[in-house]
Amino acid sequence: MKALILVGGFGTRLRPLTLSVPKPLVEFANKPMILHQIEALKAIGVTEVVLAINYQPEVMLNFLKGFEAKLEIKITCSQETEPLGTAGPLALARDKLIDDSGKPFFVLNSDVISDYPLKEMIEFHKAHGGEASIMVTKVDEPSKYGVVVMEESTGKVEKFVEKPKLFVGNKINAGIYLLNPSVLDRIELKPTSIEKEIFPKIAAEQKLFAMVLPGFWMDIGQPRDYITGLRLYLSSLRKKSSSKLATGPHIVGNVIVDETAKIGEGCLIGPDVAVGPGCVVESGVRLSRCTVMRGVRVKKHACISSSIIGWHCTIGQWARVENMTILGEDVHVCDEIYSNGGVVLPHKEIKTSILKPEIVM
Amino acid sequence: MGSAEDRVVAVIMVGGPTKGTRFRPLSFNLPKPLFPLAGQPMVHHPISACKRIPNLVQIYLIGFYEEREFALYVSSISNELKIAVRYLREDKPHGSAGGIYNFRDLIMEDNPSHIFLLNFDVCCSFPLPEMLDAHRRYGGMGTILVIKVSAESANQFGELVADTITNELLHYTEKPETFVSDRINCGVYIFTPEIFTAIQGVSTQRKDRANLRRVSSFEALQSATRSFPADFVRLDQDILSPLAGKKQLYTYETMDFWEQIKTPGMSLRCSGLYLAQFRYHSPHLLATGDGTKNATIIGDVYIHPSAKVHPTAKIGPNVSISANARIGAGARLISCIILDDVAIAENAVVLHAIVGWKSSIGRWSRVQADGQYNAKLGVTILGEAVAVEDEVVVTNSIVLPNKTLNVSVQDEIIL
Repeated sequence: MKALILVGGFGTRLRPLTLSVPKPLVEFANKPMILHQIEALKAIGVTEVVLAINYQPEVMLNFLKGFEAKLEIKITCSQETEPLGTAGPLALARDKLIDDSGKPFFVLNSDVISDYPLKEMIEFHKAHGGEASIMVTKVDEPSKYGVVVMEESTGKVEKFVEKPKLFVGNKINAGIYLLNPSVLDRIELKPTSIEKEIFPKIAAEQKLFAMVLPGFWMDIGQPRDYITGLRLYLSSLRKKSSSKLATGPHIVGNVIVDETAKIGEGCLIGPDVAVGPGCVVESGVRLSRCTVMRGVRVKKHACISSSIIGWHCTIGQWARVENMTILGEDVHVCDEIYSNGGVVLPHKEIKTSILKPEIVM
Repeated sequence: MGSAEDRVVAVIMVGGPTKGTRFRPLSFNLPKPLFPLAGQPMVHHPISACKRIPNLVQIYLIGFYEEREFALYVSSISNELKIAVRYLREDKPHGSAGGIYNFRDLIMEDNPSHIFLLNFDVCCSFPLPEMLDAHRRYGGMGTILVIKVSAESANQFGELVADTITNELLHYTEKPETFVSDRINCGVYIFTPEIFTAIQGVSTQRKDRANLRRVSSFEALQSATRSFPADFVRLDQDILSPLAGKKQLYTYETMDFWEQIKTPGMSLRCSGLYLAQFRYHSPHLLATGDGTKNATIIGDVYIHPSAKVHPTAKIGPNVSISANARIGAGARLISCIILDDVAIAENAVVLHAIVGWKSSIGRWSRVQADGQYNAKLGVTILGEAVAVEDEVVVTNSIVLPNKTLNVSVQDEIIL
């Protein structure tokens, strides 16, 4: 079976992290974002994954070579020379997606984190016998998104309504599709939106069905949602009684700590924290609702909450970092400094406190 | 009185990629020394000023960038100006004086009688031949270019006191907290080869002191006594300050313009200063036009020969347009730098801004700022490949590369 992951472009919403690394390689819960998806695909028997990208293919390919071998799955890139939207890349990768088996193929959006109930989706797709299946998820504020209006009992999709002003439904497109190869015949090789141009046509022919995604869902393409997404992800690990979660007197709630990280005495870590490889968390440190990337050193008595600390940063003694502070690669926060929502670009030293949210270039 | 045997070598310090984050977002894709002012890379201006020095035999650019970042530029400028220009890469930081000391053998290969040392990001008229004459008259080891600034702004720089008759440097202090003097160090120097002995002296002294002194942990915390490696020598604190008042260093004062190009906003101001200079000594480089065959040109404007400007557009004052840019009908550009491959659509207005490579400005859109060069958001900066859609207004903002603006923004940094 095959799959396409829509990776897209520059990941500007996740800057400053994406100034150092292409977005799919930014780690989420200590694993590159795209690896979460590739592993889920491999688990249900996908043998080949095509990445639709238009930015830094060399960096991606180099990284992926390592995983191709380890995971025993074939990974190729399909590079857009101009942005092709959300459907165009499928046409571009057509030859890689179609084989003689006639089997449907998955399409995933690379920003999405979820439980990936792909096996259930295959069964759902077989059962309704339509041309395309999409995963939808229930949200509190549907008007922020594109709403999928569907028949509740069968899942048959009636129509899509983009950012509706009045309530038409609370299910939105979760960015996970299972498509028959015939869908490719509907897509021309030009900038095309799958939600606005392709799916409405299939829905009109009564051949599009939606499955409500069980479990959590998050679009982690921007920092606030990344942090919320980590909470949902770790909570789902807890439900599965995963051994990956950290335990100990200094841990509260759901926490994941890489085995090569060191945590000092008298720390309190959690809830909803991810500590990456090679990190050194010195004694007396408080971490809550945050991600600490590879190679970070958090010095004694510091306190970090609701923030993302980029690779190889250092946080000084008694520093307090909170409220959506996002530090790019190699940022050094001096001792006793306070950052309230500072967004700091790579290779900077923070010597004066940031009292209200601001971007430091 | 200079003899025919005198040979002069010029060294321009160009810095490196991890320094100068203040030049973001323009420095993301291009080393700052290559950013264009008045149509020419920043470092081109001191280089072509060096060409006016009699008996100049070699120019060295010293920095931390990878060699390949300067390879193309160095060979093309050598050809164009017919001077030997070479880029030398420092493998580790040696300080502002340690840098030339590190390459002293190479610099002395031509047996120069005088060595100019310039910082690349200084914008001034570079009166180098006059400095050389003055230096010869003074007969010291070094002469520093100085300028008078306002008393309030002086403490951002190195302040110095000079004897009003002999011009000897009497006192030098870097960024003092209290007022010392309104004469400041312009970052342009001329030395005799004795400078290498002086730098070596500092190096040796430091090595000896490191051997003799056991630094207590309290001392180690004080940055004033922070120990540097022996070969890290700073020009200001280690050479100029100690040697002031010892009849070795002199000053030469310039009455022309002088600015430091630290931020994108300042690069717009300095581009204007160089354009004004072109009017004075190379007016053929400036554009002309009255709206009939060519666009209407007001004030000092540079337009690259490959750029296309619609005759109904009005350009200037202080505008620099780079290669392959396309300016549409009825566009109005005032006080801006338009970089390579930019497309500006009909009736758009650009005022106090820098528009990055390959960006596009939509019809009737307005990219503007209040023009305060030193303020953080006083000049609007669009990074590479930014698209401003039709009728959108961008005011006092900085936009990072590859963004599309489809709503108006004001006073914002857009990542």
